[in-house]
Amino acid sequence: MERRVAIVGYAQSHHQQDMPMTREDMVFEVAREALRSAAILREDVDTVITASTDFLDGRTISNLYLSMAVGAYLKDESKVEEDGAFAAYYALMRILSGVHHIALVEGHTQGSVVNPHLVSTYTVDPLFERQYGFLNDISAAAFQARMYMERYGVSEEEIALVSVKNLTNAARNPWAHRKMPDLTVEEVLSSKLYYDPIRELTMSPVSDGACALVLASEEKAGEITDTPVWIEGVGSCSDGYLRDRDICRLDSLRKAALTAYEMAGIRDPSAELDVLEVSEKFAHEELLIYEALGLCPEGKGKTLIAEGVTERQGETPVNPSGGALGADPVCATGLVRLIEAAKQIRGDADAHQVPGVNRALAHGQFGLCAQKNIVFILGSDKK
Amino acid sequence: MPYIKEKRKETLSLEGNWEISASTTWKDSPLLQEYALGLKEKKIIGSLCPGCGKVIVPPRNICGRCHRRMDERAEVSDIGTVTCFVISAPFEKGKMKLFGVDPVDLGLVKEGERVISVYVKFDGADSNVDTELVGAKPEEVYVGMRVKAVWAENRGGKLSDLEAVEPLKE
Amino acid sequence: MRNVAVIGCGQTKHSGKRRDVNLAEMVGDAVWNALEDAGVAPEEVDAFTVGNMQGFGGVAQPEQWLAEWIGASGKPVLRITTGGSTGASVVHGAYYAVASGLYDIAVATGWEKHSDSKEPGATTGLTHVGLGNTVNQVNCGASLRHLLSMMIVGAAAGVACYQAMYYMHRSGCRIEHLDMVAAKDRRNAAKNKYAHLQWPGCTPEDIARTELVAYPFRFGHICPASDGASALVLASEDVARKRCPKPVWIRGLAAYSDEENQIMSEGGGGIGILDASQQVGATMSAIKAYRMAGIKDPRKEIDLAELYQPFPSQELIFAERIGLFEEGKAWMALERGETDIDGRMPCDVSGGVNATNAIGSSALQRILECALQIRGKAEEHQVPKEVHHAVATAWGGATNYFAVTVLSDSL
Repeated sequence: MERRVAIVGYAQSHHQQDMPMTREDMVFEVAREALRSAAILREDVDTVITASTDFLDGRTISNLYLSMAVGAYLKDESKVEEDGAFAAYYALMRILSGVHHIALVEGHTQGSVVNPHLVSTYTVDPLFERQYGFLNDISAAAFQARMYMERYGVSEEEIALVSVKNLTNAARNPWAHRKMPDLTVEEVLSSKLYYDPIRELTMSPVSDGACALVLASEEKAGEITDTPVWIEGVGSCSDGYLRDRDICRLDSLRKAALTAYEMAGIRDPSAELDVLEVSEKFAHEELLIYEALGLCPEGKGKTLIAEGVTERQGETPVNPSGGALGADPVCATGLVRLIEAAKQIRGDADAHQVPGVNRALAHGQFGLCAQKNIVFILGSDKK
Repeated sequence: MPYIKEKRKETLSLEGNWEISASTTWKDSPLLQEYALGLKEKKIIGSLCPGCGKVIVPPRNICGRCHRRMDERAEVSDIGTVTCFVISAPFEKGKMKLFGVDPVDLGLVKEGERVISVYVKFDGADSNVDTELVGAKPEEVYVGMRVKAVWAENRGGKLSDLEAVEPLKE
Repeated sequence: MRNVAVIGCGQTKHSGKRRDVNLAEMVGDAVWNALEDAGVAPEEVDAFTVGNMQGFGGVAQPEQWLAEWIGASGKPVLRITTGGSTGASVVHGAYYAVASGLYDIAVATGWEKHSDSKEPGATTGLTHVGLGNTVNQVNCGASLRHLLSMMIVGAAAGVACYQAMYYMHRSGCRIEHLDMVAAKDRRNAAKNKYAHLQWPGCTPEDIARTELVAYPFRFGHICPASDGASALVLASEDVARKRCPKPVWIRGLAAYSDEENQIMSEGGGGIGILDASQQVGATMSAIKAYRMAGIKDPRKEIDLAELYQPFPSQELIFAERIGLFEEGKAWMALERGETDIDGRMPCDVSGGVNATNAIGSSALQRILECALQIRGKAEEHQVPKEVHHAVATAWGGATNYFAVTVLSDSL
């Protein structure tokens, strides 16, 4: 990358099941707080990119009535209709082009307005699969989980360990939705069954939430803060549709990660990354993510979790914030991962801080069985 | 490499009928309710932005220019000016449906009636209120016409308490 | 800042019902046509930006289903949707993807297939732009008569009707001028093999004979709901100079958003805009785009304009907003024939959105048409003079989204 871009401010809402606030209020709060945390005025912002989807917000042109709330009045504004991490990626490209210098990025979904699982049935191929009527994001993930378990001999208990890790981590995160400090594997495996083997506690909750962050070019970042969090690498990739790929491998994540690692100069992710924040909508997905990110060979994700390598106090902590299992405000989820990773680098991560973080990875995804993925590598000034 | 597809008049298609209706629970703020309650007392209330001083009727939550909440309230006059108008074609039975019902059948409009929809800027407000003009023929409407609010006889704190506007008699 | 050029254009035929192709085939058609035009193989594309209004076709995130059809499997894909200006937002996204230095060749595509839903042009009940607000109004006791008076212009025209009235009031434009614009658009569309409403030899009297929907709009003024797709291939300067005999440079772009003005804001609140034809965002976007492009006097330097005009009044309003005519005088220029295909400032020689409106694709087509004109490839609707600089606009949302793009044949 020719220019350097940094995260200089951020804010998130208290993610919860049914926020007693309109979208407008929720978005206004996080946008204003993000600007305040960067100590800049709305006048300083050059461009605003938001993330939300029409089906999830129950309105076409979902950002339509929110321009004023997000602070985009008379600003160069655009929107992505998927996970907020992609909005950050678009804002990054806008700054790298040299046309803009400071960007405000925002993502939100209120799952209580329209159930995201219902919306996922409309992403299914209308010609063949929708006719059968049983495919949605959970049942597709159930296929993926069963395939993975059979292929590599992974047990439900090993998958449940991911839920235990993330939901106990979430208990230390004041912003998370689902906090379960004393969770056990037994409790996970006796929670409500959706589509075997996916259970209530092995899938993300339906949350309401929003978050926003401020990106700045190198020149501006220096003026704004003493602790910029630099974006050292980014990679994005999208797979073919559900039927057209091997859903046991997250190939698009593999490619995206390789692009990001190359840009950031990372050869050994396990050694060089101090913390990772990934978007795991299902517990088994986190194991597939370990493998796609190159933290372990294929099929060995279970070893990392069983040996506690990815625990908050392990060698390669993954999701100290609780991840998507802790809070999943759909379009905000990936952007929250970016914020959590930035917080870790700044030493700002409340009770779930991992000590000595200089380099972090943030991951966002969207689509059935994580069809598209994006990876960011963040780093501090000190190396 | 050219795109290979046999040209057909109609491609193979599958009919499917999905009632794409889901339980959608929109959330709305109490501002409109506050406005409606004011109408009961024949008061037209707007939100006032402490930053730029603009008064918006009906009240809205956030001022985009100042990026802050329009916390304060201001009452505006019930006399105003027509800033814009649109006149419908004469209504006919079977021409259009409102939420699935025919407005002529429902008795909302008479056959051949022309509805005049106007934007009114009440004195003191910095915004337009969208309402109907009654008591004037379509040819008589003009931008700049002075109008007065028509209040419902029985008001119950509802938006329909402000029924319409009519030309102001000097 | 890297320079970015359009090196390929592709469209499908737009019509009321494209029942001869399904959605995947239609979008695939447009993308393949664009790649062929650019002489780029699918493996060489580095990134995709896509957009359509998913509420219309009833498929959420359709680009995930059609990934293989457009060759996007294994590539970065970004979905950008901003209402009517979607097509332009998608091109801007592709522009930034290349200008950022991360990618060298990007494909931007936009489409709409209204005929897949039972009521073409209607959004599926799940997603309607103002439904949440209307439900709130009903809850607060709005009368059905009031809702009727708001809806007499229908979802199709909406605030454009009021906007036209404001313009007509302050400029002296009359309904006859709207007839003239609509007739010109449909005559021009007859020369554009991809357009929808083709009416060779259409006259203002033909339009005036159509039924009045809500003064000042007649049935003949209103844009159709079309099925269709279009795509552009954008490339960095290095690639463009090596591979394209005549690259069209995107010299300036901006997309300022304004306050929404579709009768009400979120929650049924009022709008602080007193004149719906004011469109400050459009002017600001134009100022920025011209500045980036080094254009100081648009009236002299711009050779052609493709304005986003689902309604004829908007051709006049936006032409003034972006500085092509003096304030309030566009209708006089129309009378003098300046906006005709052989005039001084040809506007919408492709027929514009008034003749072809597949929402996700219509704003993209404005940029595409400018590119075709600059290259001299617009066939029957090519303007007789040389086109060096052209401007394309896009409009969407509730009159609050704009995008202005300035294209040139030189850097």
